[in-house]
Amino acid sequence: MYRTLLFGLLVLVLLTACTTSQPSTTETAPSTSPQAPAQPSTSQEPVTLRVGWPGFPDTLNPAYAFLTESYTMFDYIYSTLATESQSGEYVGLLAESWDVSDDGLVWTFKLRPNVRWHNGEPLTAEQVVWNLNAFIQNPDGWVTNSGYVAGFVEARVVDETTIEIETEYPISNMAYRVSFLYIVYPPDFEGFATPAELQNFTNFNAIGSGPFKLASLDKDQRIIILETNGDYFDGHAKIDRVIYQTFDNSDAMIQALKVGDIDLIGEVPDSAFAAVSAFENVKAISLPGRSITELIINSAPADHDPKPNRNPALEDPQVRLAIATAIDKQDLVDVVLQGNGTPGVTIIPPTLGGGFWFNSDIQDVKFDLDEANRILEEAGYVKGSDGVRAKGNVRLEMRLQYASDQPNYPRTAGMIANWLAQIGIKATPESVDPDSLVVATNPNADYDLVIWGWGADPDPDFMLSVMTSSQYVEGGWSDSGYSNPEYDRLYLEQQKAIEPEERQKIVWKMQEMVFNDRPYIVLWYGNILQAYRSDHFTGFIESLLGIDSFQSLMNVEPVR
Amino acid sequence: MEAWQQLRRNFRELWQSFRGNRMGVIGLGLVISALIVAILAPWLTPYSPQQVMRDENGRGLTFAPPAVHPPLGTDDGGHDVWAQLVFGARISLTVGFLAGFIAMFVGSFLGILAGYFGGWLDNLLMRITDVLLVIPDLPLMLVLVATIRQMQLKISPITVLILVIGLLYWTSTARLVRSQVLSIKERQFVARARAIGAGHAHIIRKHILPQVMPLIVANTVLILSTAILIESGLAFLGLGDPTKPSWGTMLNFAFDRNAISNGAWWFYLPPGLAIVWVSLGCVLLGNVLEEMLNPRLSGHHLEGEAHIIKPGEQQ
Repeated sequence: MYRTLLFGLLVLVLLTACTTSQPSTTETAPSTSPQAPAQPSTSQEPVTLRVGWPGFPDTLNPAYAFLTESYTMFDYIYSTLATESQSGEYVGLLAESWDVSDDGLVWTFKLRPNVRWHNGEPLTAEQVVWNLNAFIQNPDGWVTNSGYVAGFVEARVVDETTIEIETEYPISNMAYRVSFLYIVYPPDFEGFATPAELQNFTNFNAIGSGPFKLASLDKDQRIIILETNGDYFDGHAKIDRVIYQTFDNSDAMIQALKVGDIDLIGEVPDSAFAAVSAFENVKAISLPGRSITELIINSAPADHDPKPNRNPALEDPQVRLAIATAIDKQDLVDVVLQGNGTPGVTIIPPTLGGGFWFNSDIQDVKFDLDEANRILEEAGYVKGSDGVRAKGNVRLEMRLQYASDQPNYPRTAGMIANWLAQIGIKATPESVDPDSLVVATNPNADYDLVIWGWGADPDPDFMLSVMTSSQYVEGGWSDSGYSNPEYDRLYLEQQKAIEPEERQKIVWKMQEMVFNDRPYIVLWYGNILQAYRSDHFTGFIESLLGIDSFQSLMNVEPVR
Repeated sequence: MEAWQQLRRNFRELWQSFRGNRMGVIGLGLVISALIVAILAPWLTPYSPQQVMRDENGRGLTFAPPAVHPPLGTDDGGHDVWAQLVFGARISLTVGFLAGFIAMFVGSFLGILAGYFGGWLDNLLMRITDVLLVIPDLPLMLVLVATIRQMQLKISPITVLILVIGLLYWTSTARLVRSQVLSIKERQFVARARAIGAGHAHIIRKHILPQVMPLIVANTVLILSTAILIESGLAFLGLGDPTKPSWGTMLNFAFDRNAISNGAWWFYLPPGLAIVWVSLGCVLLGNVLEEMLNPRLSGHHLEGEAHIIKPGEQQ
């Protein structure tokens, strides 16, 4: 439900969110790895970790940010009340501890004393409360934050180091929610009269309270230099600087790592991972991540406006079952991901909450082309002379579209089209730019099959919200158009289920419903692929957060 | 009839002198060998271009070097590169040839119309040509291909490529043919034909066309190479059909899927060389034909008649 607050959002929002990974996943890829100075001794030269990445943040303003790159920077520069730890639990950052009242409606956060902004001024409880109330009162302006404060009524200062948040109803995932509420320096954000003014502010001279300070940001050269914050409240990093450099070409980036021009790559393409692993003095890491890639089947309700434009056969559950049966997910993982992933089953990746939320009872459909043919035969679809099945005047001929910005989708589409051809379904692969794909899926409902992906949040709430019917409005997160009143009801219920076991039961049930109705056929869960120069730096923390998380960078030290 | 017989004679003479031109013969050889490979594709490889090669455990065999999977290894999707190459020849050459022929027909037709009738028609057609000439080809084609695809017409992606390239690439042919027609239509035999009452269609068919035909042939061969290069370019930018790979599509995959970082030269070199092979063939052939058909190109402009009158010299 918190996503429904994103009402005014343009197409752009969903688009960028989908293509990069949804905005709230801060843990995705960019990489940072430090480079030791040439002389190993105690030289005066600053210890610099140089990171290569494929993108560049378009803004450092958390009010309106949709690129993964922005969130990577937010985690270094800003602080939040709580944050996700390497082990997947939530630990305090600005808050030392927190507690909820017996009725579940008032949360009390005890703040750390003596926290300072990067400019040396003290960070006060009033400033934290100013941030929270700005998010709550101005959801049109603070668009990306607004979802996380859904159900919040007001934040209040209790004393110098204590604040309270009052909520409308009990909230089951409070720590997760505040972990995406970046606390910004109020004087920089107070002067905006309209939401548009606030959103156009790029904050490229950001002041925060995080472990790294923004030293310089060059939009044209696309280089960001961060310096270690010596005043940080929780120790400070053993490196002096982190430099982020953008590469347009992944092969060039990989070569730079090979020769030692950069120390870390946060996002190694799956097709290059084996090659990178073989480099000397490079450690390549492949860890299960939180991204899912799925085949979306147009499931928009028949009375949707505009009227769905799709092959009517897709409404037949047997056709969906046949399609699912004709996709060899293990083969996709082996070939497309070169082994760096796991076949997908449900919309919740097995990594969320250490597997707590993933419904492990669901048995995936077994790949079997003969069985798929039999299902279609039984459902009355008869093969014509051209090998394409038809029932009456409904021919099994459909579009298979994919976002043009993902290098592994064309291969995926080719393999799926090939399997479908063998069961008498003619699917025509088509590369579509992500903007057009957003509009085609929601609100136009003008597609048959689409290959696309999500970066899931640490909490299952977001992935579950994608399937709710209230998200199938312009600017909403739903792309399949799945509509199931029972599912919608359970979605609201799980948000208020404070007891984890009780919530788990609902979350499992919801996954089962989506699995059986197949608005999505989840193809795979992708791994996080990263690499760093092991001869330059050591001490990276390998976890779901990535070796470039701020926790990891604070632990990194040069190899002497 | 006579003009066409003359044309046939011309071609026979052309062939006689062509045989003596080494560059021309090499060019023809390159083009014909590529055509033969494309036609014989299914007999040259046991695999289909879509088939995923597998190791003994049934896993996809990706980026296998030629030593592991002869003759040319596998690509990132586990497909046999040689199978992709020979079947890709079909797509690349089909698109190249069909687009080239469309361009030739459109260009010659409009060129003859403009040149022969002159006046406002000439003006109109040549202004359209000018407009098309000043718009950069590749970006325009990119936009057109992408837009047409989205319109969901029931035509295959490859047909879209053929039409877009063919219908945009006729401008140089049109200009060339027009200028030739302008000079031919002033010759006496045309004036005589007109004097004895021949209609426009008759004159164009019997007198003009045979005269410009050799020029059109030479120009077509040159356009073929351009069309094949453009197809590769568009496919490289991701506008090909991933299920029917052309050479450009292969390069697109090689680039996007890090063939270079993998050191998979067997994946990107063969399609690259194949494109060079065919376009080099077309260019050699086309240049030689053009030279033979256009006497002005056969000698250096400083040779022969050039004669500078020195001061005091008697004319």
